[in-house]
Amino acid sequence: MAAPGPGEYFSVGSHVSCITCLGQRLQGEVVAFDYPSKMLTLKCAPSSGKLNLSDVVLVNLAYVSDVDVISDRAETPPPLASLNFNKLVNRARAEKEDKLSQAYAVSAGVSVEGQQLFQTIHKTIKECRWQEKNIIVMDDVVISPPYQVDNCKGKEGSALSHVRKIVEKHFRDLESQKSVQHSQQAQQTQKDSALSS
Amino acid sequence: MYPFDYKLSLIKLINSSVSSLPRGRNNAKGPSTAVSIISFIYANMRMVHVLTSVVGTKCDLKVKNGLIYEGVFKTYGPECDIVLDAAHRKSVEPNVGPRREDIVESIIFKSSDVVVVHFKDVDLNYAKKDNFTDSAVSARLNGEHKEKDLEPWDGGEQHISGSMESLDTDLSNGWDPDEMFKYNEETYGVKSTYDSSLSSYTVPLERDDSEEFLKREARASQLAEEIEASATYKARVALENDDRSEEEKYTAVVRGERELHSLNRENKYIPPSQRNREPGMSWGAGRQNSPRLVQCSPGPPAPRSGPHDYNAMDQRVVNGGAHPWPSRCPSPSSRPPSRYQSGPTNSLPPRAATPTRPPSRPPSRPSRPLSLPSAHGSTGPLSTMPKRLSSEGPPRMSPKSQRTPRPHRVASCRGGGPPPPDYMSQGASVEVSAPPPTRNSSSGGTWSSVVSGAHRPRSPRQNSIGGGAPSPSCLSSPQAGTVPVDSATASTTATSPTAANPATNLEASPIEEAKESRVLEMRQNSPNANKENVKPIEASASIARSIGKGVMAPDHRKQIDNLKKFSVEFRLQSCSNPDPVFEPMVNKTPRDLVEKPKDQSTISEETSTAVSITPTGSKSATPSLSPSSAVPEQKRGPDVTSQGFQTTSSLANAAAKDKDEKEEKNDPVAESVRKSTLNPNAKEFNPRVFCSPPKPATTPTQTRPQGQPSPSIVVQQPPAVYGQTMFQMYPLTPVSPGVQVPHMTMSQTKPYRPGKVPNMPQQRPDQHHPPGASTMMHPATAAGPPIVAPSPAYSTQYFTCSPQQFASQPLVQQMPHYQSQHVFSPMIQGSARMITPPGHAQPSLVSSSTTQYGEQTHTMYVSPTPIPQQFPHPSSTLHPHPQHPQPSATPTGQPQQGTQHGGSHPAPSPVQHPQHQAAAQAIHLGNPPQQQMYSALAPTPPSMTPGPNPQSPQASFPSAQQAVYIHPQQMQHGYNPNHMAHVQQAHMQSGMVPPHHGTPSHPPTMMLMATQAPAGPQPGTLNPIPVSSATHYSYTLTPVQGHHQQQL
Repeated sequence: MAAPGPGEYFSVGSHVSCITCLGQRLQGEVVAFDYPSKMLTLKCAPSSGKLNLSDVVLVNLAYVSDVDVISDRAETPPPLASLNFNKLVNRARAEKEDKLSQAYAVSAGVSVEGQQLFQTIHKTIKECRWQEKNIIVMDDVVISPPYQVDNCKGKEGSALSHVRKIVEKHFRDLESQKSVQHSQQAQQTQKDSALSS
Repeated sequence: MYPFDYKLSLIKLINSSVSSLPRGRNNAKGPSTAVSIISFIYANMRMVHVLTSVVGTKCDLKVKNGLIYEGVFKTYGPECDIVLDAAHRKSVEPNVGPRREDIVESIIFKSSDVVVVHFKDVDLNYAKKDNFTDSAVSARLNGEHKEKDLEPWDGGEQHISGSMESLDTDLSNGWDPDEMFKYNEETYGVKSTYDSSLSSYTVPLERDDSEEFLKREARASQLAEEIEASATYKARVALENDDRSEEEKYTAVVRGERELHSLNRENKYIPPSQRNREPGMSWGAGRQNSPRLVQCSPGPPAPRSGPHDYNAMDQRVVNGGAHPWPSRCPSPSSRPPSRYQSGPTNSLPPRAATPTRPPSRPPSRPSRPLSLPSAHGSTGPLSTMPKRLSSEGPPRMSPKSQRTPRPHRVASCRGGGPPPPDYMSQGASVEVSAPPPTRNSSSGGTWSSVVSGAHRPRSPRQNSIGGGAPSPSCLSSPQAGTVPVDSATASTTATSPTAANPATNLEASPIEEAKESRVLEMRQNSPNANKENVKPIEASASIARSIGKGVMAPDHRKQIDNLKKFSVEFRLQSCSNPDPVFEPMVNKTPRDLVEKPKDQSTISEETSTAVSITPTGSKSATPSLSPSSAVPEQKRGPDVTSQGFQTTSSLANAAAKDKDEKEEKNDPVAESVRKSTLNPNAKEFNPRVFCSPPKPATTPTQTRPQGQPSPSIVVQQPPAVYGQTMFQMYPLTPVSPGVQVPHMTMSQTKPYRPGKVPNMPQQRPDQHHPPGASTMMHPATAAGPPIVAPSPAYSTQYFTCSPQQFASQPLVQQMPHYQSQHVFSPMIQGSARMITPPGHAQPSLVSSSTTQYGEQTHTMYVSPTPIPQQFPHPSSTLHPHPQHPQPSATPTGQPQQGTQHGGSHPAPSPVQHPQHQAAAQAIHLGNPPQQQMYSALAPTPPSMTPGPNPQSPQASFPSAQQAVYIHPQQMQHGYNPNHMAHVQQAHMQSGMVPPHHGTPSHPPTMMLMATQAPAGPQPGTLNPIPVSSATHYSYTLTPVQGHHQQQL
């Protein structure tokens, strides 16, 4: 690595591209760069394609080559907004619990379809959990393998019908995903794939 | 999927490799490199921001070897180490979720191992705090709130035609009916008429002769009549048909007929001021009159009454605001004021000064003040006097001060107390008042000088007076003049150390007070007085605590009484501000230091009663004030001792001598008076005490001054006051180590006398108690002196120390404790003595004494080390202890004193050591008496008190003291705690609640228990306990006892 200057080697806002030692090419806008640790943070185009989201890549420049500054920043970076740390902590905890709960399901031998369905439902209804191999939604609806619409059982009502719609859509999207892989038209599918990936 | 173990090993490898990697960052890892660490990632604002904003998101982390871990980004280290929660190594298969056993709770990746961390689909604005920006606020509004586009107005053709201008010129009032008809007919083809049948809108009613129709017609007409006859209808019709304009009906100023006529004639407005000039106008006079009346009536009254009132109010307020201390003092002084009042005037203002009280009180105060003034006869002060009185009254009145005091008073010395208390209060008030004078200003300088002189005279007077009354009067007179001075001086002193005069004055006053207190105590059952004093003090302390440290108060206050007191005190505390002045004074100069010691001493005095205080006070006072005075006092002391009872006094002898003398003087005269007035005194004292404590709390340096104030407050109570004065004197002595030491020694010698105490007991009640107190005081004084010697620093130190011990307790509290302690110690001694002598030690008294003792011990401790702490404890404990604990307390109290002294001494300064030793000795002396007392109280007492007490106690005490010295703060703390614990234990044992309420019997048991326990829990160990004030108290008590026992 060329010895960076005393100040910032990469100015915030500039666009940089590089190739990691693992052969992955990265390109994005410099969000932050720490010279002592040689850590570079890039903001890249969102993998999901959603405009309000973005991918953030933290790169260790010690394992990067072919660093190229595509365009330097023209303006001073915007001021930093204060962060609601509690919100972040809560998100971290929720994500962790989420993952662990899914892991339990996987450990229980739930099929991939079941896992995907669970993730899909979980996006809409947070109140769902695994019970053995059954998905319990809102403590009302039980979806047992093979997790088809007909497997949704529970007290007749809006909850059951709603869950059935979700399941129905899930498999429909799944079909469309298969037919048109990586198509971004079906967000649902994309999300599923993203989650499953 | 790799086995979990594999992952762990992998992680270890990663970590090891990471750690092995040469990195500049590694250098920063050590704790010492915190700064350098900051220079890393954490110093990079943007890196921190972006990484923080992605916390909680899932990410894929690629390490050098190509493995990918997925987890929830938890946090990052200063060197950009990444922490992933619920991380697992990504399997090759894309859509298969990780198994539970694949997931690691959290993994820390060294940044050197990290190649890329990929956060997918992150909302960087997720955690943005945007609650109060314009955009955030506007975003919450419902509907569209975008500003409307401005559109230019187009007047159209009409504008051109000029129709718009017609509005200005058209005088017509709207449309003419005919024009409307015409317009409608032309534009809409509608022809309008005045036909009332409204044929255009309805059909005419078909009339017939049928019965039904007639019937209905009749009914209709009837209803119409009813309606038209109704007042409502008429009123409405009148409204509708009223030709008067709105202005006439609603806004016009209605003038008399005359005016109307005139108006009609002139049809011209004539200003009121000019109307008079109009000659011949019949109604002109009327006009004039009206204006005049208006002006006169409103103006005169408001200005006159208003101004006066305001002035009074202002003054009051000023006083109140100016003198927090005064408030306390006032309360104490308030009672005294009447007697001392003239002097107290200054004090009174301070009292008035008490924040809350001033306003409401002023009114009430007057009555009191009046009485007080009359008593004292000092008019000049009157204004201040009233205030003071009011303040005093308020203090009394003030729930806290009064309540606390009252209870105490009641418990301890109702009979004899009243007069003395007044005196005491006056004295206190005077001291307190001092601050006000300063505020007042002009008199301040002279006053200070006067005060100093006055105070000194006062002490003499007191002495001469012998009885509490004389002393009071003296005090009052001096105070009246001097008081202001004192206050002024005090304030000045507070502001500047130089105010030696104030200090002296204060000291003198304190002495007087101490005398009074002593007298009271002597009379009574000094214990009671002491108790009362103590209680007030405690209350004040508690208030201070509450103010300074809310927590402390509760603990100590455990007892309801305490709580009440606290509440009252709290108010007082606000008032206590005046106290600060006193504190300042103390702090300001050596005197201040002395005062502080005094405070402590006063506390001890309170506990030990006047006796101990007097000694100390005399010592301190004499030194600072004048050696000669000290000598006389000493002489007196001997006399006292000879008189007495006061083996304890013997301990304190030198110091006690003065006190004793005072006491004696007081005793004879004062005792009788006190008995009668004891109650009042007690109350007064209490308030003062309270005030003083708060002061300490207010400020370390101030606190001491406050402590003085508190002492002064204590002083206010006849017994307490004396004690306080004495204490103050002691502080002075502290200033001059040499002098003090001798005194101390004297006091110590006196302590030995304690053996006499047994005999003394009966006598003691009156005098002996004082002696005991004196002895106690001596220790305290001794301790105090050292502290004093340190001067402000010492005081501060004490405060600090005390705080530490009490931890939670504020300085102020400590102050209170001191006072209370002092009081208690006296009380305890007295009680102990009382106990020994059946007659003296009445059950109630004993109990109180015991409690007091406990408190005293606390106080003692406090005084030694941080006065504040002690005060707090005392206050808290005092309140409770005063009456209840006294028996048990006494034992502990003695120990405490010793310990306290020791502690204080150590803390104060090396210089003090001699003094400290002396103090310690004195303490020991005091302790011996106490021990004796304890012994008397407790089963073992005899053995304890008789032989060992005098001598062994001292010897033992020295050791104890030494220990204390070594661990001044800790010791004190420990002691206090221990004492507290002991007390509690004792209470527990007795079955009584630790609370101060402990019955007499309890105290003894307590004592015993305490004594036993004490040995074990000595300062060092005990120290930890301090956490709870109550516990502290008990601890202190026990430790003390233990010491005593050990010593014994």
